[in-house]
Amino acid sequence: MATITKAGPKKYEISINGKAATVVEGTYLLKAVMDAGFNVPTLCHHKDLTPDGTCRLCLCEVEVNGKKRLVTACNYPVRGEIKVNTSTEEVKKHRKNLAEMYLGRWPNVEAIQNIAKLCGATDKEKYKSELTDENPKACILCGHCVRACSSFVIQNILGFAGRGIKRHLTMPFGEIDPNCIECTSCGYVCPTGAIQVADNMNNPADPELIRRHGMRINAMMATLDKAQNRMREVGTANLVEVMDSYDLLPVHNYRFGKHPDTKKIDSGVMKSQYFTQDAADGCWLGCSMACAKAVDGFELKTGPYKGQKVIVDGPEYETAAGGSNMGGFDLDFIVEYNFYCDTYGVDTISFATTMAFVMEAFEAGIITEEHTGGKTLKFGAMDEALECLHEMARGEGFGVEVGQGTRRLKEKWAKELGADPNFLNDIGMEVKGLEFSEYVTKESPAQQAGYAMAMKGPQHDEALLIFFDAINNQIPTIEDKAETLYYFPLFRTWFGLLGLCKLIWNDVIPPSNSNYPPNEAAKIPERVEDFQKFYEGMIGEPLDEEKMLQQSARVFNLQRLMSYYFGRGTREEDIPPLRAIGPATVEEYLSREERYDKQMKEDIGIDPGGKTVEEKLVITRDFRYKHYNQILDAAYKRRGWDHNGVPTVERLKELGIDIPEVMALLKRQEQ
Amino acid sequence: MITVNNKHKLDWYEGMTVQDVLDKMDYVLPLITVSVNEQLVQGVDYSTYEVPDNAQVNVFHLAHGG
Ligand code: SF4
Ligand code: SF4
Ligand code: FES
Repeated sequence: MATITKAGPKKYEISINGKAATVVEGTYLLKAVMDAGFNVPTLCHHKDLTPDGTCRLCLCEVEVNGKKRLVTACNYPVRGEIKVNTSTEEVKKHRKNLAEMYLGRWPNVEAIQNIAKLCGATDKEKYKSELTDENPKACILCGHCVRACSSFVIQNILGFAGRGIKRHLTMPFGEIDPNCIECTSCGYVCPTGAIQVADNMNNPADPELIRRHGMRINAMMATLDKAQNRMREVGTANLVEVMDSYDLLPVHNYRFGKHPDTKKIDSGVMKSQYFTQDAADGCWLGCSMACAKAVDGFELKTGPYKGQKVIVDGPEYETAAGGSNMGGFDLDFIVEYNFYCDTYGVDTISFATTMAFVMEAFEAGIITEEHTGGKTLKFGAMDEALECLHEMARGEGFGVEVGQGTRRLKEKWAKELGADPNFLNDIGMEVKGLEFSEYVTKESPAQQAGYAMAMKGPQHDEALLIFFDAINNQIPTIEDKAETLYYFPLFRTWFGLLGLCKLIWNDVIPPSNSNYPPNEAAKIPERVEDFQKFYEGMIGEPLDEEKMLQQSARVFNLQRLMSYYFGRGTREEDIPPLRAIGPATVEEYLSREERYDKQMKEDIGIDPGGKTVEEKLVITRDFRYKHYNQILDAAYKRRGWDHNGVPTVERLKELGIDIPEVMALLKRQEQ
Repeated sequence: MITVNNKHKLDWYEGMTVQDVLDKMDYVLPLITVSVNEQLVQGVDYSTYEVPDNAQVNVFHLAHGG
C-alpha cells in the first residue's frame, strides 16, 4: 500500500480581475482564468499538451504577498491565495507588441490573425522583414507537434533546431526520420496546417473520424493516466497494492486475499528498485498507453543462464500476484520466474496457479518429498518452485508432472495416490482445464461466473467484473448479474474481433464517466463511442450498441458450439471449484469468520451460533453453489442457451448462424 | 449512521468528509465515482465535501487491468 496517497488536494481562494474563484492547488493559472470567464490570448498552449511557456502571449500580472510580477499563465501553477490581473496596461502593451511581431512574420496565417485581433494589433507592416512568410499555412513555431509526438505517442521524432530567428522545426539531422511511426498526432495538433497528412493507409472510409477519436484517447493517456492508474509509469503492477487492499490478491492458492508482505512486491518497490529505462514502452510503437515495463541487467540466480545479466519484460500484475499466490513475496523471485517462463514459453499464470496448488497439496500431505524429488514444496519455497520450472523445461523429474497443469494433477493424484478427489477439486483452481488468473473471486458471484463461463476458462481478460458485486453492490439481483454476464463477455469478444486492446478501454477513464449511473458508467460510454467511431471511420457504416453486441454474439455462439463440440461447452464445465466461490477449508473460514458468519445470518437466514466450523463450511458451500447455479440459469437464459448451456436453435436462427454445418454439429453432439 | 453502497453501515460524525468515508472503507482504487445522496462528488472535493448524517454514499469502482 506504500504507493497509494489518499489525502485530497488543497484549494485556494484567489481573485481574478476582482472576481473571486476557488482553485485546486496546482491548477495552471490559464485554466483558472478561462474557467472564471476571462479570455487570454495563447499561441503555444494546447489543452491536451503539457504547457511550454514559450510564446509569452498569456502573460498576466500576479500579486503574491503584496508583490506584483508578470507570469506566463499557461505554466504557472496556483499554489497560494493570489490576486490576478489579466489585462493591466503593461500586459496589454506587451501582448500587442508581440502580436504585431507575429503578424509581421506570418501575416496570412489565420491563427495569428485571430491572436492579433484579440490583442488589438493591426499593423502588418511594422515588423515586416525578409523573414516574413506569406504562406497562410506557415509553421508558426508553436511546438504543439513536438510535444504531441513525445507525450501522445512517446516518440521524439520532431524537434526545433537553430536559435532566435533561425529557429525551425526539424527531424533529427534535418532528414526524414524513418522511425516516424506515421501516427499523424503532429498533424492533428498543428494549428496552421503546416503539417499535412498525405497518406491514409488501408483506405479508411473516414480518416478524419478515426483521427478525431484516436486523438481523444491519446490526449487522455497523456493527461489523465498519471493521476489514475499510472499505466505508463508502472503498468498493470499498480494493481498489486490495490487488490491487496480489497482482499482480492491471491495468497497461498487463493486461500486469502491479502498479506502483510505485499508491500515487498508492490508497484512502488518495482518502480524504485526494479524497473529500468524509466520510460513508457508499448506492445507496438505508437501505443499511447505504453504499459510495458522492463527490468534490465537482472542477474539470474538459477537455471541454465545462472550468473548472466538479462533483460526481463515485466513483471505485470498477474505475474506479481502469481508470486503472492505461491507465497513468494520477493521480487527477485518474481522477476526470475517471469524471465524463465518467458524463455521457456510457459504462461506465468498457469505456472503460478498450478504451483500454488502443488504447494497446498504438499502442505496437506497429499504429496511428499518422495513425489517431488526431495523438494520441500511449502508455500514460499521459491528456489524449489524455480527448480520445478527448470525441470519442466528439461523434461525431467517432478517438474514434468507440474507441467501437466492443475486438472491432470488432480486426476493423477486421486487415481494414483488415493487422494480425496473432492478436496482436490475444491482447491485445484481451474475450469475447463485452464488455471485461474490471479484474482480472488470468493465474494463476487458475477466474477465467478464470468471466469467459469468464459470460453477459454478463467483467464485474465475476463476479470472485469471483480468489483461489481461485493465492493460496488451494483448488480444485487440475479437478473442484474445475468445482464452483466450477457453484455461484458460480448463486449470483450468484440475487442477480439477488431483486434483492439482492452486496456485502452478501461484503464484510463474519461471525466465524462462520472455523469453516468453506475451500470452505464461500468461500460465507459465515451470510450465505447470512440470504438464505434473507429469502426464507422474504417468501414463506413455507423455502429450502435445493439449491432456491436450482435456482431459479437454471432462469433461468441459459434465459439460456444465449438467448445461444446470439444466436450467443454456445457454446464458441467461452467462450474468453478469451491475455493473460487467461498472458503474451502476450516482455516480459511476462520480467517474471515466474522464475514462468513454475518453472511450466514443475513443472506442465508441461518444462525451460526452453536455450529461447528465444519458445519458452517457445509452450509456456506451449499448456499453459494445453489446461488451460483441460479445465476448460471439466468445467464444462460439471457444468452439464449438451454439449461445445459448450449445455444438453442432459435438463438442460432436469430443470429443468422443456423447454417447447415452448425446445425449438423449441434445434432451430432446431441446424439 | 451512513450507508455505503446500500450495504455497509458506518457511524456518522460531525464534519465527516467523503475522503473520511473512503479511508474508513479502505477504498484506495483511483478509478472511482462517488455520489452522496445521488449527488455526484468530484475527486477534488473528496476532502472537503461533508457527508450528512443518514446519507447514502455510493462509491463505484471501475474494474481495470487484465
Ligand atoms: S507522425 Fe507521429 S511519430 Fe511521426 S513525427 Fe508526427 S507525431 Fe511523431
Ligand atoms: S508545424 Fe504546426 S504544430 Fe508544429 S510548430 Fe509549426 S505550426 Fe506548430
Ligand atoms: S500560451 Fe504561450 S507562453 Fe503561455
